[in-house]
Formats: sequence, structure tokens, C-alpha cells
Amino acid sequence: MSRYFFIQSQDIFTEVRTNAQFNLAKSLAKKGNSVSILLVQNGVVAARKGARSAQMDALLNDSVTVLADNFSLEQREINVNNLKPNIKVSTINVVIDALLNGDKVIWN
Amino acid sequence: MSNRKTITFAFMDPPFENERTVTFFRLLDAALETGANVKVFAYEGAAALSFALQKAHGNAVHGRNETDEDHPLTKNWIAALQTKAASKDLQFDWVNCGLCVDERGVNECISGCGRGSPADLLRYATASDNTLIIGTR
Amino acid sequence: MKILQVVEQAFRTIVEEQDDTILWLTQSMISAGGDLEVLLTGNCAYYVILKQRQPSLTLGSWKQTEPAELNRDITNLLEKKIPVYVLHEELLERGLLDTPVHEDIQVINHDQLLDIYDRVDQVWQW
Repeated sequence: MSRYFFIQSQDIFTEVRTNAQFNLAKSLAKKGNSVSILLVQNGVVAARKGARSAQMDALLNDSVTVLADNFSLEQREINVNNLKPNIKVSTINVVIDALLNGDKVIWN
Repeated sequence: MSNRKTITFAFMDPPFENERTVTFFRLLDAALETGANVKVFAYEGAAALSFALQKAHGNAVHGRNETDEDHPLTKNWIAALQTKAASKDLQFDWVNCGLCVDERGVNECISGCGRGSPADLLRYATASDNTLIIGTR
Repeated sequence: MKILQVVEQAFRTIVEEQDDTILWLTQSMISAGGDLEVLLTGNCAYYVILKQRQPSLTLGSWKQTEPAELNRDITNLLEKKIPVYVLHEELLERGLLDTPVHEDIQVINHDQLLDIYDRVDQVWQW
């Protein structure tokens, strides 16, 4: 089993690649790997409660850990109460922890 | 020092054009904060991040002169991180792709940043505990 | 000549430039006598709900002192009677409809967007 950590800067509303990126994350998780995703920049837009994002909702129902970068959230005035369930606020230090932990860290 | 871990970052976006640049620098700061050595390979437009002739300016739309505007410059961000690394006895290495530098005429870089080649990315990655590639989009 | 400025690349340079460069460009051209209107589209729909100044970035000992004020930049446009539009559908799909927006920002539907495109002389899609 491997540990994958995705940094998701691309967002579902403007980047068609996001769908394939989420599918890859879900597939890796289904295969038994540990998969985490940190939403950064406009990647956090789909995390907002009420955002119409079937891909994100599917991801949240899967065994993938979804985090959202606190600075990106603050820039967009999204507070923790605005987030969809199962999304946790995180500092960007979590990326460094993953790198030092030997995860395969991938920028999307 | 020897038990400190090392992370290599490859980055390819220029200053003043993309949100990725800010996230990249936040990651470098976080790595140093965690106590890791940092190595950076600046490719393509990122070769201009350390360009020594970057210059701040005032902004009439903001109604501020040069001093008050206090415009961010990536060369100053690099210098601040170099200082932070030194204060924590960490390594902070930065190499620019030489051909990328030549293409853009950004040969004059700040102290502590140097000229290199793709071989340096491989050398950095091989000597590091992990590597993060931040491609442009 | 009436120009529609279509601003689409949200949050792209706001930390480094301390503004959205297209909103800055728009304000500069208005000062130079330009006849412009502004459509905030895509993730720029977020700009209309912002109430606060952007957070300051800190890197090592470097700390930002003048972070962007996007709400100020949009208010400046509105005070100069520059029409600012945002699409209802784009607020809806991002879950932003329940968030108050400045009363002078015009929330439009798709048909109204077509009318605006027809009415202006040029559309500048940034």
C-alpha cells in the first residue's frame, strides 16, 4: 500500500481535468492505498456548502481524506461553517508532513 | 544537521502571474518552519523569481507612493527565506535553469541563488528525502 | 466606444500585485476616459461577496503590509457608476446565492448577458 497526497489547485468549475484527477484519487483509494487531497487556491471553491459539485460530493463519500487550505479559504471568506461535511481545514504544513513522511505528493 | 531531512521543489511559473507562486513560497516557508532543508530548481519562468533587478513601485490606483505601497518582490521573499534558513541552521539551495535564464535575460540573480542545469534537479532529488514538482497549468 | 471587460481569472495575482490586475487596468483606463463595463465571471463571482481585506502573507521575516482590497476596488468602480455584472447561475453553482452582495452590483441571467454582449462595441475577455 502506498500513501498518496494530492495538492488540488485546479477546480471543477473551470478545469475539465479535475474530473479525471478526482477519479484517479478515488481509484487509488479503492485499490487500498491511503489517499489525501488538500484543496488550495481556487480548488477550495467546490468545498463550499451549496456548491454544485457532483465530483466533489462523490469524493467526500469515498475513502479519501479531503482537507482545505486555511489561507485559500480566508482569501475567499469561506469559514469552517461554510464547508461541506467531511472537509477539514488545514494549514499548508500538512504537505510538508506528507513529503517528510515519504508520501507520493502530486500537484494538480 | 545530518539528521535533518531535505525536500526538493521544482517550480516553473514566473513572478506576478499566478497564484501558484504564492502557494509555492508558502510551502518553502512551511518546510523551513518544520525544520527541513530546502532545495529549489527554478525552471522556465521561475528563473525570474530571483532576478536582482526587480523593482518596487508606487500605485496611483491604490493612492500610495512606492514606500507606502510596499510592493511584494519575489527576490525579497527568497532573501527572507534564506535568512530564516540560516537562523535555523538549515540549508536553502536555489538553482536556476541556465538556459531559461539566458532566454529571458534575467542573468543577474540575488546572492545565494545560482545557475545550473537539469542535472541539478536530478542531483537535488537524489540527495533529498522527497521531491515536489509544481508544474505550470 | 463601449467595452465590456470580462474578468475571469480569479485570485490569480492578488497577493503579489496587491490587487486583481484586470480590475486595476479597468480603473486606470476609466481614469483615462474609457467607457467600460465589467463582468465578473467564473470564480470571479467570488469577488462580489468579499467584505474584508485579503489576508497578509508572511514568509520568514517578510510580512505584507498592504494586501489587496478587492471590495474597495469594486466599490470604486460602482461609485464611478461603472456597471458591474455577475451571473446568477455562477453564484448559484458556487453556493453563493445566500451571501449578500453590494446593492449596486447587477446580478444578471443568461438572456441579460446576451443583451449586454450585443449592446457593447467590443468584448475584452481577459
